[in-house]
Amino acid sequence: MSRFVDAEIMQHTMKLQQMGAKVQVINSKLCYVNFDISGFKIQYVYNVNKKGNYFLERIKPYSLPIKECESEQDIIDIIEVDVEQFKSALKSHNIEGFINISRTLNMTLKKFEDLFLYYNIPGKEIDNIVEKLEAFEKEIDDLKMKSERLYFKKEPENL
Amino acid sequence: MGLNNVLMVVLIFVTTYIIIISEKINRTSIALFGAVLLMIFNIMNQEEAINHIDFNTIGLLIGMMIIVNIMKRSGIFTYVAIRAAKMAKGDPWKIIVVFSIITALFSALLDNVTTILLVVPVTLVITDTLEMNPTPFLIPMVLFANIGGTATLIGDPPNIMIGSATGLGFTDFLFNLGPVVLVIFIATILILKHTGGNDFNTAEEKKKKIMAFDENLAIKDFVLLKKSLFVLAMTIIGFMLHQSLGYESATIALLGASLLLVISQIDPEEVLLEIEWPTIFFFVALFILVGGLQEVGVIDFLALKLLAVTNGNLFATTMFILWGSAIASAFLDNIPFVATMIPLIKSIAVIASLNVTPLWWALALGACLGGNGTLIGASANVIVGGMLEKHGYKLSFAKYMKSGFPIMLVSISISSVYLAVFYF
Repeated sequence: MSRFVDAEIMQHTMKLQQMGAKVQVINSKLCYVNFDISGFKIQYVYNVNKKGNYFLERIKPYSLPIKECESEQDIIDIIEVDVEQFKSALKSHNIEGFINISRTLNMTLKKFEDLFLYYNIPGKEIDNIVEKLEAFEKEIDDLKMKSERLYFKKEPENL
Repeated sequence: MGLNNVLMVVLIFVTTYIIIISEKINRTSIALFGAVLLMIFNIMNQEEAINHIDFNTIGLLIGMMIIVNIMKRSGIFTYVAIRAAKMAKGDPWKIIVVFSIITALFSALLDNVTTILLVVPVTLVITDTLEMNPTPFLIPMVLFANIGGTATLIGDPPNIMIGSATGLGFTDFLFNLGPVVLVIFIATILILKHTGGNDFNTAEEKKKKIMAFDENLAIKDFVLLKKSLFVLAMTIIGFMLHQSLGYESATIALLGASLLLVISQIDPEEVLLEIEWPTIFFFVALFILVGGLQEVGVIDFLALKLLAVTNGNLFATTMFILWGSAIASAFLDNIPFVATMIPLIKSIAVIASLNVTPLWWALALGACLGGNGTLIGASANVIVGGMLEKHGYKLSFAKYMKSGFPIMLVSISISSVYLAVFYF
């Protein structure tokens, strides 16, 4: 089986090299992690390799590249905290709304990328979008100030 | 050895063989299980079982697998393929011819499956670029992998096993099988040209895309490339001299492999991970299973029966083994077949006091070239069928056989004439 995979990789590598890429193939293992919390599915995928790089990504309830870690223990710690936070958030009546907003934000990001890659957008419109994003960020910061904190085991990384 | 033991060995061997053919259970798993059963039923003890393993074959396979595995990391195979496609100016038929030559040459130095797994990915990129169906490109690759592998000691596992069991060396194979393989190669190219070689047309702009490929981009590591080519060249020279130097072929392959591991400084764990351990263990199990047949006298019995059929005539026996091996290898895995035939031919030599050298060449030609007959005749064929299917092209048993079986018949006919003229 691994020889078939090698043959596939050889084919992709040749195409990518002809596009100008440097391709490095590293033996690694892909781990899928599933949690089912009373019907609420949380899924992660992470890649482990001998070079000491670990790539972690959350797949469910919504896709989010989480982190490039330096050790497997970091991966376990991040997943542990993430799952605890979801367990805590599940007690909230707003969980559905929170997940829907996150999915919409993901979709919006992809739409914005298409806009950027497929169309020539006037600078004035970009400024307009930046303005709206800043307003949205401020809204999040304001909400943080007004809301009761639920999780104390670690400090928020982005807020 | 009692009759019960004979029946037990035959039952275990035949059942294992049938399950291998049926592909209901992985061939390595069932062969290992069958081999261990021989020990459990006290047909032979563990030490006797180990004595039946041909470690020269095992060492040669592992040594070459290590060399190829390190070498391919340099990107040399893709480089050669792109150069070849550009030499053919992107013309589909010329690409088939040049790739056929490359496949046959690679296959003479590497095993067939490895060759196919190196050549097919590049061929698929070429056919993708030409926007052509890859099937007419890949069928010749399979045919020439099996044909090229026939020419040398290290080209095909049956030859490795025959060489190891008989002491016939690299140059013996090259000088005895090389000339007939060259004739078969030319005949096959002519047949392919005659049966569809003019049907390949593609637009000039697509040929230009092939010409725009930069082969230098394929080389990932020039230093590794130089080291690999040096070790490969030394290993081939070693194979040519191994008999006069008094070394087994496996010693040469393992010397090359270990030297390349040392000078490349690639993590051995990474390299050894890529060794085809299932194939290695399949060989180990087969040697033990066939050893069981030898222990209870079944092989001697079969040798006597074969001599009775051919009246002890060496020419008739040679033709019987050539055609029998070819037909059997077209439908069965040739590795267990050859593993069984080797002790059988050795028994013939002892029982009939014959010079059985032509029989070894007949077995090598039949077992290697017979694999071209059907889609299941050789591992390389099955792999190409699977890869084509993954890319959305179905290579049916009948479609392959339409090309492969006549070429197999022509190859074996040429081999018959060659053996008749030069060995009798």
